Amino acid sequence: MASNNPSQLLPSELIDRCIGSKIRVIMKGDKELVGVLKGFDVYVNMVLEDVTEYEITAEGSRVTKLDQILLNGNNIAILVPGGAPEDVE
Amino acid sequence: MLQSGRKETVLDLAKFVDKGVQVKLTGGGQVTGTLKVYDQLLNLVLDGAVESVRDHDDPLKTSDQTRVLGLIVCRGTAVMLVSPTDGTEEIANPFVQPEAV
Repeated sequence: MASNNPSQLLPSELIDRCIGSKIRVIMKGDKELVGVLKGFDVYVNMVLEDVTEYEITAEGSRVTKLDQILLNGNNIAILVPGGAPEDVE
Repeated sequence: MLQSGRKETVLDLAKFVDKGVQVKLTGGGQVTGTLKVYDQLLNLVLDGAVESVRDHDDPLKTSDQTRVLGLIVCRGTAVMLVSPTDGTEEIANPFVQPEAV
């Protein structure tokens, strides 16, 4: 990834490279989801599979959702390729 | 004068590339990292990103806890503020009222 010219690697292309692998989606509020990215659109609505949902306020209570979900891109703030859900310091 | 019909941003992020930036997000989140890539919609790619975790009890306060995220994409729709870390320092809170009112 460091070999590419940064001015040509758009953020949407970085997301595109995550398709098929785990990604962590941090919402604007206190919610996070970790799952396998199946695809996304121009608004960065995302289709995720085998999703685990984390609530940050209540010390990470988990809600595991299987199958596929459509995540509304309206409230997405940060995308972390690779997931790594246990990195809370 | 920014009177051209083209959609230009008031701040050209090119000068921040490969520099440390602090990004504040709508919703109260805050991330610092090295700006690698940006686009016209203000989507950002930050490397070595560190998220400041907010106080559990009071979402308006940031605690000292941080969380290392690594390489991330910041959605432009959530970006509220971008500022360079170079030249930024934390100072004592000038708004704290004395205990005895």
